[in-house]
Amino acid sequence: MSRAIIIGAGHNGLVAGLLLARAGRKVTIVEQRAVVGGLCAASEVHPGYTVPGLLHDSTGVRREIVDSLGLSRFGLAFESEAPSVLAAHSEHKGVVLHAEAKRSRDELEALHRGDGDGYIAWRGFLSRIRGFVSGVLSEKPPLMKPDSIAELWSMGKTGIGLRRLGKPDMLELMRVAPMCAADWLQESFGDSLPAAALAAPAAIGASLGPWSAGTAASLLLYESVRGAEVKGGPAALTQSLQQAFEAAGGAIALESAVARIRVEQGAVCGVELAGGEFIEAPLVVASCDPKRALLELVEPASLPLDVEEQVASIRLRGSTAKVNLALDGPISFRGREGERHARAVVSDHLDDIERAFDAAKYRACSKRPHLDVSIPSVNDASLAPDGKDVVSILAHAAPYHLEGGWNGDARERFGDAVVEMLESVAPGTRARIVAREVLSPADLEDRYGLTGGHIHHGEHALDQLLFMRPTPKLARYKTPIEGLYLGGSGSHPGGGVTCQPGALAAAAALKG
Amino acid sequence: MATTYDAIVVGAGHNGLTCAAYLAKAGRKVLVLESRDSIGGATASEEIYPGFTFSTCSYVVSLLRPQIIRDLELSKHGLEIMPLDWTFSPFEDGTSLLRGPDAEMNRRNIARFSRKDAERYPLFGQAMSELGRMMKPIIESPIPEPSKLTPSTIFEALRLGKQFKGVGEEWLAANLKMMTMSAVDFLSEWFESERLIGPMSVSGIIGTFLGIRSPGTAYVLLHHYMGEIDGAFRAWGLQKGGTGGVAMAIARSAESLGVEIKTGCRVDKVLMTGSEARGVVLVNGDEYHAKAIVSGADPHRTFLGLIGEDRLDEDFVKQIKRFKMRGSSGKVNLALDSLPEFPGLDQESPALRADITIAPNIDFLERAYDDAKYGRFSREPFMDCVIPSLTDPSVAPPGKHVMSIFVQYAPYNLKEGPADWENQREAFGDAVINTLERFSPGIKDRILHRHVLTPWDLEKTYGLTEGNIFHGELSLEQLAFMRPAAGWARYKTPIEKFWLCGSGAHPGGGIMAAPGQLCANTMLKARAV
Repeated sequence: MSRAIIIGAGHNGLVAGLLLARAGRKVTIVEQRAVVGGLCAASEVHPGYTVPGLLHDSTGVRREIVDSLGLSRFGLAFESEAPSVLAAHSEHKGVVLHAEAKRSRDELEALHRGDGDGYIAWRGFLSRIRGFVSGVLSEKPPLMKPDSIAELWSMGKTGIGLRRLGKPDMLELMRVAPMCAADWLQESFGDSLPAAALAAPAAIGASLGPWSAGTAASLLLYESVRGAEVKGGPAALTQSLQQAFEAAGGAIALESAVARIRVEQGAVCGVELAGGEFIEAPLVVASCDPKRALLELVEPASLPLDVEEQVASIRLRGSTAKVNLALDGPISFRGREGERHARAVVSDHLDDIERAFDAAKYRACSKRPHLDVSIPSVNDASLAPDGKDVVSILAHAAPYHLEGGWNGDARERFGDAVVEMLESVAPGTRARIVAREVLSPADLEDRYGLTGGHIHHGEHALDQLLFMRPTPKLARYKTPIEGLYLGGSGSHPGGGVTCQPGALAAAAALKG
Repeated sequence: MATTYDAIVVGAGHNGLTCAAYLAKAGRKVLVLESRDSIGGATASEEIYPGFTFSTCSYVVSLLRPQIIRDLELSKHGLEIMPLDWTFSPFEDGTSLLRGPDAEMNRRNIARFSRKDAERYPLFGQAMSELGRMMKPIIESPIPEPSKLTPSTIFEALRLGKQFKGVGEEWLAANLKMMTMSAVDFLSEWFESERLIGPMSVSGIIGTFLGIRSPGTAYVLLHHYMGEIDGAFRAWGLQKGGTGGVAMAIARSAESLGVEIKTGCRVDKVLMTGSEARGVVLVNGDEYHAKAIVSGADPHRTFLGLIGEDRLDEDFVKQIKRFKMRGSSGKVNLALDSLPEFPGLDQESPALRADITIAPNIDFLERAYDDAKYGRFSREPFMDCVIPSLTDPSVAPPGKHVMSIFVQYAPYNLKEGPADWENQREAFGDAVINTLERFSPGIKDRILHRHVLTPWDLEKTYGLTEGNIFHGELSLEQLAFMRPAAGWARYKTPIEKFWLCGSGAHPGGGIMAAPGQLCANTMLKARAV
C-alpha cells in the first residue's frame, strides 16, 4: 500500500487525508499542535467555557463534500437554516438580517425606506447566481490557457453556465465582481448599517477596507457558498472528520512539527520531523500556507527560481485578531433584551470598517475595531455554564506588522478597544467578563503556524483568486516537485471553513 | 428652415472633433456644436492672466493615438509635441530622484536609494512596454460584447484572442495581475524603496477615486505607460502653445475636411421622432437636424441631460446613474515671477523641465486618499507639476514662468456638499502651495497669480459631471464592455441614430482620441451616416 503524508490536521488536511485513505493510501497526518482541528480546534477560554474554533463561521462548509464522505455517520449535523446576523448599532437596536430576506423587510424599511426591498433584490440576485458561482468554486480552477480538449470543454461549460444566468444577471455578475463592496452595497441600501453588516464578511482576512476594489468578489465568494452552520461549530466538523479518517485506517501524529520536506531528484520522498524522525512517502499534501510549505519546509533550491519568486510575493498580511470572552451571564444587545443572537457584526457605518483598516495601513491598531461576533453558546448551551455565554470575536484591523511590535501591552490595549466596541452595542458586557483571551496576528502565527498571521493563507484579492491562487503555476494543487501538493486555504477556492481546497488537492494527487 | 447634416457632434473636445473629422474624411457633412466660446473642451489653452497662457485642464499629451495623428495629418495642422521625458521627484529631506531617458543616470540615481531597485528598473520598463504592446489591440478596436453570441462578436473575440496566442503564460498572468492588483502591490513585487514606489505608483491613481493600495490601480499605471509619441512607447509630451493646440490641430484638420464648427451653441435637448434622434435644439431655440447625432459629452450629461430620463428605458437609466463619475482632482495654475528652486539641484539638471511629482512615500499618498474618502480635500495632496514655459517660452512673458499643478485628491463630494467648494477653493489652493513650499522652499514668494480649479469648477466651466476628467472613473467595472453601461459599449446607444463618442466610452479618458475615432468608424461601418 502506497504511503501518503498530510501536513496539518486542520479541516482541509483531514478532508485530503480521508479521501486518500478511502482511496487506499496509507495516510499519516502530521500535526505540530497537540490537538486535531487546526483553526477549527476547540479551545477552552476559561474552565467551563469553550470556543469551537478560531474560525467560528461554519456556514461555508460544502455540503456535497461532507455528504459524499458520509460524515453524518460520524456525528456531523447541520442547523436547519442559514443563520441570521444581528447588525448591531451603538445607538439603536440595529437590524436582524435573515438569510430569508423578506423576514428582514419590515425592520429594514423602518430604518430607511426602500432598504427592505433593496435587501430582497440583493439576496434575489445572489440566489440566482449562487449555483453558477458555487459550481466554479467547487471545481479545480480553470487553466489560463486551455491546453487540451477537456480543458477547453470545461472552460466552455463555465461559459455556458455564465450565459445561462441570462443576460442581465451575467452582465451584473461581471460588473460586480471587480467592484468595491461599499459601492455595490450602497446601490441597494440607503442606510449605512445594513451595508456595513453585509460588507463585513469581506473584511475577514482582508487587508483592505470595503472601499477597496475587489472586495465585492470576496463577498460573492462568501455568500455563494453560505448555508446553515454545523451543529457544534467548526470543531464538530473536524471531530467528525477525525473519526471518519481514523475509521478509514488513517493515523494522526500530534506534536509532530515538520522540519523539512525532503526532495530527491525533483520528487518528494518524505518529511523530516522537528524531532529528527523521518517518514518516507512519495506523496505529500501540505495543507499549511504556501509560503510555509514552499519557502520554509521544502529543501532550499528544490524549486525553479521563478516559482520561488512568485511564492515570495504572495500577500499574507494578517490583520485579524481573535478575542474570546467568558461572561458570567448572557450577552444582551442594545434594544434586544431577552432576544438571543448567535451572530452579530459591529460597525455603525461602512466608513467605520474602512477607518478600522486605515489604521492598519499605517501599522497601527484600530481604536474602533470592526467586530465579527459569534456567541456559540446560543446554539450549543454545553459550551458555557448554565445561563452564561462564551463570545468569540474576529476583530479588525490589527496589523501583523504593528509599529513597535506585538508586545503584551499592545495586545491588551487592542483587547480593551474590542471590549469597548462590544460594550457600545451590548451595554453591560464589560462588567460580565470573567476571562478574556486576546490573540494578535503574531500569536496566531506562533500558535497555528500561519505565515503573517493570515487566517486565509493568502489574502482574498482579485489577483490571488481562481487560477492565480496561490500563484498561476501552482493553481492546480500540484507543485513542480513531483508528489508534492498544496491542499490548504492558500489554494483555490481559498480560506474559510469550506473543505474544498483539501478535497480538490486530494483529487489532484490521486490523479497524479 | 434648419439645415440638414449627415451628422451633428455635440461638444468640440478632442473626441468630438476627432469623430467629426473621421466622418468628414469619409465624405459626410458634419456640424460640431460647442457650448463654450472656444473649442477644445477640457483640452484647452487659455490666457488667464495677461501674457500667461495655461493648459487649463489637461496638461500632458501621451495617449494620443499615432494612427489618428497620421490619418488626420495633425502635424500639418499644428500638432507639435515636445517630449517630456524626465520625471523629477523631490523629497522633504532635500534629496530627490531624477529619472529619464539616460539609463546609466537612472541606475546611478536610483542606486542611491536601492541598488537592487536600480538593477531592476530597466527590466521593469521593458516589461511594462511589453504589456502595453499587448494591450494595444484592445485599445484600438471596439470591445466585443460578451452577452451576444453573434458570428461577428465571436470573430472579433477570436481576433482579439489571437493577439494573445503567441503570448506565454507568464505574460498572460502578468497582464491579469496588472488588471487586478494595486499599484503599490504590483510595484512592490519589483522594487523595495518607497522613494521609487511612491512616485511611480501615482500614475495608477491619476483621475481615479482610488488610493494607490486599491486593487485595479496597477491597470491605470499601464494605461499611462501606454502613451506613445510617434510610435515610441511610454513617452510623454507637451503641446507647443499649450494643450489647446491639440484640439486646435484636430479642429483645423476637421475644418479642412469640411466640418463646420459652431461655438457658443449650447445644446439643450436632442430632438426625437419616436425612438429616433433627428436633431438638436439649442438653449436659444435654434434647431439643427441630421441623420445621426453624436454626443461627446459625458454619459451623465448625455443621457440624463441631452436625452432625458423620461425618454429612456428605466433599467438603462439605472445603469447610467450608477456609472460612477466622482471627480477627485483639481488643478492649480501658477504664474511665477521666476523659476522655482529645489534643494541640491545643479544648473545643468533637467529636473525643472521634467514632470515634477510630489509623491514622497506611500503613507503620504495614502493619507491624501484617506482625506478624500471622508469628504475632505487632501491636507497634503499629491501633485504632478510641469513648467511648460521652460520648453515653450511663448506661454509666458520673458523671464517669467507658468506652472501647471495637477492636484489629487479634491473630491467633488465634499462632506458639506459640492457647492461648498465655493468656500473651500482658496483653502484648497493654500494646502497645495503650503505643501509645495516644503519641497520647493521659496516658491510662495515667486507667485504672481494663482488660479485654482476645483472639481466643482470643472463641472461648471467645462461641463464635466462631478468634475471627473475621464468622463467616468477608470475602475475595472467601468472599463471595456461595461463602459458606460453593460451592453452599450460600442458607441451605439438605446436611442436610434444617437451615438456616444466621448471619454465615457471605450477605451476611456485621457487625450487619446480613440473613443472619437472608434465611434466614427463604428458609425461608418454600420452605415449609420
